[in-house]
Amino acid sequence: MKFSPWLLLFYCLNISNVIAQEKFTISGTISEEKSNETLIGVNIIFPEIKSGTTTNEYGFYSITLSKGTYKLIVSYLGFSTLSEIIVLDQNTTKNFSLIDAPESLNEVIITENIEKLNIRTPQMSVNSLTSSSIKEIPVVLGESDIIKAITLLPGVTNAGEGSSGFNVRGGAVDQNLILLDEATIYNSSHLFGFFSVFNPDAIKDLKLYKGGIPARYGGRVASVLDIYQKEGNSKEFHANGGIGIVSSRLLAEGPIKKDKGSFLLGGRSSYAHLFLPIFDINNIAYFYDLNTKLSYKLNDRNNIYLSGYFGRDVFSIADTFENTYGNSVLNFRWNHLFSDKLFSNLSLIYSDYYYGLKLNFVEFDWVSGIKNFNIKYDFKHYLSNTFKLEYGINSIYYKFNPGDIKPTGASSGINPFKLIDKYAFENAIYLDVEQKLSNKLALSYGLRFSSFFRLGQDALNMYENNQAVTFNDDFKIYEKAEPIGTESFKKSDVIKSFHNLEPRFSLSYKLNDHTSIKASYNRMNQYLHLLSNTSSPTPLDVWAPSGKYIKPQKLDQFAIGYFKNFNDSDYSLEIESFFKTVKNRIDYIDGADLIANNAIEQVILNGRAKAYGMEVLLKKNEGRFKGWLAYTLSKSEQQTKGRTPNELGINNGNWYNTPYDKTHDISLTGSYQLNDKWKLNSNFLFQTGQPATFPNAQYSYNGVNIPNYGDRNANRLPTYHRLDLSATYIPKLEKNKDWQGYWVFGFYNVYNRRNAASISFSGNNETGLNEATRLSIFGIIPSISYNFKF
Amino acid sequence: MRNVLYLIAINLLMVSCQDVIEVKVPSSKPRLVIEASINWFKGTNGKQQSIKLSLTAPYFSTEIPPANNATVTITDTNNNTFSFIEDADSGIYFNNNFIPVLNDTYILTVIYNDETYTATETFVPVSNIDSVEQKNDGGFSGNEIEIKAYYTDPADQKNFYFFEFENDRLPVVSLNVYDDEFTDGNRIFAFYSDEDAETGDILTINNYGISERYYEYLFILLQQTDEESGDPFETQPSTVRGNCINQTNPNNFPLGYFRLSQADQFIYTIE
Repeated sequence: MKFSPWLLLFYCLNISNVIAQEKFTISGTISEEKSNETLIGVNIIFPEIKSGTTTNEYGFYSITLSKGTYKLIVSYLGFSTLSEIIVLDQNTTKNFSLIDAPESLNEVIITENIEKLNIRTPQMSVNSLTSSSIKEIPVVLGESDIIKAITLLPGVTNAGEGSSGFNVRGGAVDQNLILLDEATIYNSSHLFGFFSVFNPDAIKDLKLYKGGIPARYGGRVASVLDIYQKEGNSKEFHANGGIGIVSSRLLAEGPIKKDKGSFLLGGRSSYAHLFLPIFDINNIAYFYDLNTKLSYKLNDRNNIYLSGYFGRDVFSIADTFENTYGNSVLNFRWNHLFSDKLFSNLSLIYSDYYYGLKLNFVEFDWVSGIKNFNIKYDFKHYLSNTFKLEYGINSIYYKFNPGDIKPTGASSGINPFKLIDKYAFENAIYLDVEQKLSNKLALSYGLRFSSFFRLGQDALNMYENNQAVTFNDDFKIYEKAEPIGTESFKKSDVIKSFHNLEPRFSLSYKLNDHTSIKASYNRMNQYLHLLSNTSSPTPLDVWAPSGKYIKPQKLDQFAIGYFKNFNDSDYSLEIESFFKTVKNRIDYIDGADLIANNAIEQVILNGRAKAYGMEVLLKKNEGRFKGWLAYTLSKSEQQTKGRTPNELGINNGNWYNTPYDKTHDISLTGSYQLNDKWKLNSNFLFQTGQPATFPNAQYSYNGVNIPNYGDRNANRLPTYHRLDLSATYIPKLEKNKDWQGYWVFGFYNVYNRRNAASISFSGNNETGLNEATRLSIFGIIPSISYNFKF
Repeated sequence: MRNVLYLIAINLLMVSCQDVIEVKVPSSKPRLVIEASINWFKGTNGKQQSIKLSLTAPYFSTEIPPANNATVTITDTNNNTFSFIEDADSGIYFNNNFIPVLNDTYILTVIYNDETYTATETFVPVSNIDSVEQKNDGGFSGNEIEIKAYYTDPADQKNFYFFEFENDRLPVVSLNVYDDEFTDGNRIFAFYSDEDAETGDILTINNYGISERYYEYLFILLQQTDEESGDPFETQPSTVRGNCINQTNPNNFPLGYFRLSQADQFIYTIE
């Protein structure tokens, strides 16, 4: 195997440990009792020796301890805690099934003071949410939504209502690595950002890494959103679904072979003509997505999974145009236990993003997209209770189609035009070590070696001095450079390659059983860039690979944090502070046309970005009242200086606010279990208005009043705040009926604040006088949905 | 093409509501604005030309001040100098013996407040508007009057067009620029639709030949003046610089543009 030298090295480091004592391994899988659905992040704790571990993404755990008799506690939020005495005198496989807390009759009361593992693990800057907590958050139009839920976490925001994606710690939307069952998702939004592409019914668990990102992740510089779909119930057939005002959904799951194999099939679709009442014209706007998964347990050591995702958005207005876009993902995974200490997962992934547009009144068709094949082989090596390794390899082959234009009729005035396809190959090898040095100090350190090969293409432009953008010193504007020729390559040629070492480091120091401080550093590289010069990406933005003219983005991030659990872990407090810089953040010359541009390098300048801030998260984890208060104080800026002293750069070379820079960002989320039937949920958001550019003068030109804009993003929209409320009503359960339904009633923006999504400046059509027009998207919106399971 | 795509994105977002609000905007010191648009309509001698000079004003001001008492001249390659004389205090400067020559280079000089501004541009020819078609179930919503003004693009060269559609009954002139990146050598159209247009309206359609740089300039300018500027799908706005240079004090750069265009006019009565 390729990585054996690494292994050997770390075996050697650890060898003294191995020889010294007689040790045995206890390992297994932890799942939900009713469905056999594996559980992620379950705590397995040995309170007497203050040791423990958690289950991985596939529900597997392994820990190696000295021979002996131990008390073992298995605890997971929302489930009854299990307690057992284990005699460890041989390697033991021990699987556990956990029972939903509300339904368990004789809950084991744990009197010991369980030390929560999150205090001790060096991993920081991570938030996890389960599907059930996401569903409790009140949302616009009653559609529970993963992306909307994570924007309530500290350090996460977006560029306003109706803008796609999310921004983490002042990073751009394209800097988030979004993984669905290990496969990369390129566009996370339906309907231009009003909804996300993830069906909450099909999701088991998600984790958002904002900093201290482990070496097993790479390729994006701001965050990793790691989402796992459910496997499906392998005990009995169940279905659940919901009917809402925007969409309906249905998900079925059940055994293929009892306790061995299961299937999951989920679908969701919004209603066509969603926007019909608004337009008063013939239009169609809808989205749908399908989630499928087959899981099969071959034997105790081997599991296989086949999962798929397919989603599309469709718009058409009158006969003038038709627009279709979406992701598709197909993914095969094989979990294999080499030993009770060595867990492996092999993933083979195909994923693609498609964008299609038919414009009938100018008679042409447009198609663009990105396709990739991805192979990942990841190992988790549980060497001892103080030493854990993760290592693996990853290769991705990309094909970019920046655009293909075809006339649709004989009378079309458009010439067929194919933008040149681009190809790239990204590879990485990584090693992560998690090491407990003492009872107080734990470290995690790793290294990722990433390389990116831009492969051969047709007709790549050449420029004088390799400068694709020139500066016109007379007019003080940037202009496209005239190519001095083109060069063509074979597909197997490498036009340009990049190799980077990405060190990662984090540590935790335990002050006492409930309090710790943590620190982390990570360096990451991003080789793909989403070309978008608007404040929020649009579905038709295309991805471009690094190459001869575009350099990879490079991140350095430092973070420190203080973590505390109190009141028997009913409450937790996390305070973190971060600082990060990104080199080679691309910026665009004024008027850059990014669509159907075959020579994108002619409109791109290299800039940099930085962000820093403080985040506070106070959570109440258990009890009738649950919820969190998140506060973020931060700054996110970007700068593109001139390449020579004569050049102006962008915004005169000065730092400017990114469109998602929000100085203060407060969100308060809470739920209260009133009684058996009613549960109340609420959100309150308060954010500094997002940056905007206002005119500093006007003038007249060609009979038109022209606003003259000043410094970029130097002004701000009014402060954003709103309150949402919802109530869940579960009618009395009838004992012998399988059908269980519940209603969710909600109000979005209860006090009907007209939050500005944008302010635009133009002359009044009648008076001709200049005015500022506020666009506000959602006023108070009531919603109702009915959900069921059987 | 980009404008079309943006239009679609924006119109899909109309779940929203709009209202006029009071906003405090910053203000900057006045700059000279040079509107030197030399137009030579086909079939005319092109001798009478005018240049408009004005100043920038605070954004919500109701008046835009003219720039008076400037010295304005244009020089051609044959060393002819055409002096433009201000009409009273209008800020509009006239010359009645201009000599237009296609593809020739001209130099504009403006002396204002003891600072000298210059610009250089060539005279750009243009294709004829050969016909106009009307559809009554067109436009974005499918029930607007839609006008297509057809012209034939010369093959194997880059061409840029600036179209004006002026409805005699409506105050707003519709302005558009077109390139021939995807339509080189084809018969293609400029597009107009207005929900307020009616049968009997007289539409004056002007097609001006423009340079690539002016196309880029006007493209950005028009994008920043449309009603949706500032929404998430718009590019970030900034000061748009033209081709006039302040030789005395480069930092006090002027706005506006010096262009010379051959033009074709088509008068169409909406049926």
